[in-house]
Amino acid sequence: MTEQIDKALEREYEAGFVSDVESETFEPGLNEDIIRRISTMKGEPEWMLEARLKAFNTWLEMEEPDWALVDYAKIDFQAISYYSAPKSMKDKPKSLDEVDPELLRTYEKLGIPLVEQQMLAGVAVDAVFDSVSVVTTFREKLEEAGVIFCPISEAVHAYPELVKQYLGSVVPTKDNYYAALNAAVFTDGSFVYIPKGTRCPMELSTYFRINEQNTGQFERTLIVADEGSYVSYLEGCTAPQRDENQLHAAVVELVALDDAEIKYSTVQNWYPGDENGKGGIYNFVTKRGICHTNAKISWTQVETGSAVTWKYPSCILKGDNSIGEFYSVALTRGAQQADTGTKMIHLGKNTRSTIISKGISAGRSNNSYRGLVRMNSCADGARNFTQCDSLLIGDQCGAHTFPYVESRNPSAIVEHEATTSKVSDEQMFLCQQRGLDPEKAVSMIVNGFCKEVFKELPMEFAVEAGKLLEISLEGSVG
Amino acid sequence: MSKWLANAIEQASSKQDWFQPLRAQAIQSLAEITWPTRKTEAWKYTSLRAVERFKQEAEIKKLRDSVTTIDEFDAIELVFENGHCQFQQIGDLPKGLTIVKLNEASSEMQSFALQKFSSVKPKRHLFGLINDALVPDLVYIKVADQAVIDKPIRITSLLSEQAQVHTRVFVELGQQAKACIVEHYKGELECLNTGFIEYSLANESCLEHYRFALQSGKAVSIGGSHFELAECADLNSTVVGFGSDLSRLDIDVIHSGERAFAKLNAFYLLDNKETFDLHTTIEHAVPNGTTEENVRIIAGDKAKAVFNGRIHIHRDAQKTLAELNNRNLLMSHDAEINTKPELEIYADDVRCAHGATVAEIDKKAMYYLQSRGVPKEQAQVMLNFGFINELIDEMPNQALAQWLRPQMKKRFAAMKVK
Repeated sequence: MTEQIDKALEREYEAGFVSDVESETFEPGLNEDIIRRISTMKGEPEWMLEARLKAFNTWLEMEEPDWALVDYAKIDFQAISYYSAPKSMKDKPKSLDEVDPELLRTYEKLGIPLVEQQMLAGVAVDAVFDSVSVVTTFREKLEEAGVIFCPISEAVHAYPELVKQYLGSVVPTKDNYYAALNAAVFTDGSFVYIPKGTRCPMELSTYFRINEQNTGQFERTLIVADEGSYVSYLEGCTAPQRDENQLHAAVVELVALDDAEIKYSTVQNWYPGDENGKGGIYNFVTKRGICHTNAKISWTQVETGSAVTWKYPSCILKGDNSIGEFYSVALTRGAQQADTGTKMIHLGKNTRSTIISKGISAGRSNNSYRGLVRMNSCADGARNFTQCDSLLIGDQCGAHTFPYVESRNPSAIVEHEATTSKVSDEQMFLCQQRGLDPEKAVSMIVNGFCKEVFKELPMEFAVEAGKLLEISLEGSVG
Repeated sequence: MSKWLANAIEQASSKQDWFQPLRAQAIQSLAEITWPTRKTEAWKYTSLRAVERFKQEAEIKKLRDSVTTIDEFDAIELVFENGHCQFQQIGDLPKGLTIVKLNEASSEMQSFALQKFSSVKPKRHLFGLINDALVPDLVYIKVADQAVIDKPIRITSLLSEQAQVHTRVFVELGQQAKACIVEHYKGELECLNTGFIEYSLANESCLEHYRFALQSGKAVSIGGSHFELAECADLNSTVVGFGSDLSRLDIDVIHSGERAFAKLNAFYLLDNKETFDLHTTIEHAVPNGTTEENVRIIAGDKAKAVFNGRIHIHRDAQKTLAELNNRNLLMSHDAEINTKPELEIYADDVRCAHGATVAEIDKKAMYYLQSRGVPKEQAQVMLNFGFINELIDEMPNQALAQWLRPQMKKRFAAMKVK
């Protein structure tokens, strides 16, 4: 049975092609010079360079974390190239017509609509290719509403005050090893600002693509939702199929001011490596949001890719009555390893958090949920509910749960539950008896298992996530 | 390296006796160890500062404590006074039971014992290694095949002020043997003890186990109970703990034979500035094992409770059933509870679940009782008691349960509640 599953799981990684785009890439290596060059390439102001160099020195003193339940060859940070951009980007295209058609074709192939007319109404996209943002669509329409949506490298120039105020305010440089690295070498990413009382008129989306060989992608996303505003933000990612491991160390910071709401959804489909674990992306990401009074941050993630995932989207519930949510589906197969979960730090009174995590392991993969719920002594009446379910497909995989619960307030209530099971024979029998073939049956059962999370995703993403899961599971029943 | 540990290693290096081979191994491991800090996962929430306080040259006071009888509880008493075994055989031991003080045993017996000790206790426990290196007196208990020992065996550890004491027992149950063992730690003087007891359960044997970790006050108590279960072995264990300056307990249950059954109930009550840190690890290495674990904690005043419950299902351990339930009551704004139920699963056809809750006493229940004229304090004791009484009820030995209830009530009544 296991053999059959493994065989069936050898499906093609559909986004694994390489685009033939002439690029300008830095030689591999990491030192102060490289950082100065990145800064110069971006034409950054002096304060930005200083912040980068400071972060670099902090990073040098830090140690690589090893507590996650993942096993991978040590990363040689000097063998990575820290900057790569398509040559055609040098004179920044002013409109879509000026963008290199090869780049457009890449996104077309990936099914990312950059041509505005052809788009599903209501999604603005910022497309990041290796180290630079290629194009951001619908900017005019957003500007009408007062919404700022642009590459962060532009925001540094156009909105220095906002960037200075919020960049690094949620994830400080010293936070962890990869956050420090990112702060030193980040190249691009998205910046979003929603003004007071504004409901963002459309979904915002960033699409990350690693193309060049031996490069790492270090993007930085900053979303600030001012008082009473609302935004829904989607993130997607893919990379070509290569034998080497590539590093993706991003930092995402969310700031939800009083009464604001941010909904952040991710469909992560980085190249996972081949069935023997060769190649694939190392996805070491720091994502965190801070909620002020009555604010709400909701993380939804569907993780199907990456060779190694190390990612804990978190919420700091600082303001009273604020809400944090985390909905996650993580599917691992082949030799993939995922160590993912969330942190909910309750500081304010009557803060609430919900964690729903669904892990599906197949093949020889390992899938861990690692979470922290902390009730600080001032979090009167705070409430948390956590549910972690794991589904095992095949007898060579692993599913693990490591929830940390720390409570310092008697009026706070924390509930945690976790279960582990496999697709039961009874369920399979029931479906097959009604005429479904085994593959459809598994797909249906898994979809049902993940339903609570999928319903949190925006519609287009939910369809994509469902499909992605279906492809990933193809033939998982022998 | 910590000064205390350096001292301990130095002291151990000068010991020359039959246990030397195991001591040497332990000393070697200890020399390579880094003293735990907050970054050490196994000691994340518990500081070892209380250990550092103990000086080698401190004057050890005279033993004040004595063994208290447990009402209506007739036991075979094995007493360690400051680590030295005072077992006096009065009359005959029940048929099939052998208790050997290994320091006085034949060299054949000693070399046999060398094979046994540390075969069940995992090497990762820092203080287990310290115990290996320093333990003065070792005892081996054997229950012969098919023997049923009706009388419980009680292992009591008595310590005097400033004493640093290490106790160690190995218990072996033969096939289809049956026994009841009570480990009893008490006292509130400033002293340090490590008590590690290993249990090997042969096929179809049955062990009823209690660990009363009732040291409180300034005592520093670090220890472990480690069980290895062969085919169809049955373990029923109850752990009761009070907190002290530093109390740490590691329980390991290793299913190495199929169809073994382990039930582990633990509850602890913390008050003042006490700390209690319980780590349980259940290893399912073979198929068809069952584990039921229940842990309840009540933390009042400025107490700190730590629980880490790990269930590890190995690759081949199909058809395992494992459940862990952890419920915690937080009684004061200055108390804290840190809990981490862990599942690590490498087999697909298993049923595993864990649940954990942290909250205060149900306000509605309090209101109900108070509205019927029960004073607040009393209502609190009633509800607290109800929270753990369920586990006391499940104790197979009712004489012990009878003895325990008033002790718990006394503790509850004294607890500071804000």
